[in-house]
Amino acid sequence: MQFKKLFQVLVLGGAVIGASAGCTQANAQEKGKKPAADAGTTGSSGGGVKGW
Amino acid sequence: MTSARRAAAEAWAFRARVEQEAALRFDQLAAIVAGFDPGSPVPAMMRGAADDERRHTELCAGLAEGLGSPVALDPGAELPPIAPRSLSARQAALYEVVAACCITETESMATLTTLLAGEPEPEVREVLHEISRDEVVHARIGWAHLSRESVAAEVAFLGPLVPGMLAGTIDPGLFGPPPPDEDPEGLLRLGVLPLAKKREVFLGTLEQVVFPGLERFGVDAGPAREWLARAGTPG
Repeated sequence: MQFKKLFQVLVLGGAVIGASAGCTQANAQEKGKKPAADAGTTGSSGGGVKGW
Repeated sequence: MTSARRAAAEAWAFRARVEQEAALRFDQLAAIVAGFDPGSPVPAMMRGAADDERRHTELCAGLAEGLGSPVALDPGAELPPIAPRSLSARQAALYEVVAACCITETESMATLTTLLAGEPEPEVREVLHEISRDEVVHARIGWAHLSRESVAAEVAFLGPLVPGMLAGTIDPGLFGPPPPDEDPEGLLRLGVLPLAKKREVFLGTLEQVVFPGLERFGVDAGPAREWLARAGTPG
């Protein structure tokens, strides 16, 4: 398994795609926003996605 | 039926359901992301990915049926939200994209690459090859979106939440012993990783691809590393 190659193809390749189109709108509200204090610590802490 | 054939039939049936859910998720996320980032290439890629996943569903179900495990898919299946309720809509979308693409699709790509490096049966290889072509794009979707959001919005909130994503991704038995009747060679021929190999690929992908990727875009992988150290410790 060539993890280094996967990093280059997926992570760096994805970043190039993300940067290739128009800049995303900077959202001042979101930029400074912190999630509520209970994020990740209560019954609503979130889950994951099953895969292969 | 051999133990490998039985286990592979179950695995491909499970994958068919996973792919069906992925199609629904990509359709939902495409609409949400387009709402706050209309210049992004990500929504169009997600709509294409949803079509891919519907095709993958059929491919996986076909293999499962051929191995003796017909798949009954629910055409009205719904997708429960996975993001914490405390997040804004935009944060929740990022949470879901990271969980689905940066973690799960990236892990799937590592699994597919490993399987294709072996000697699967011709029909299995054909399916693995077709799916892997698309999964490259699906994983990139996540990293593309995270990179854009790291410029436009706050992404550090994800750090403490990644352990929840990981806990929801893995099988409960990933860190346990393999089934006593496991046939590693038979499984690999039918497109399934034996447990020890699955664990090795999962951990290697996290440590060398996912965690460095998250850190590159400003998400602290420390909590995830701590979670992994605990999860992988027997007892």
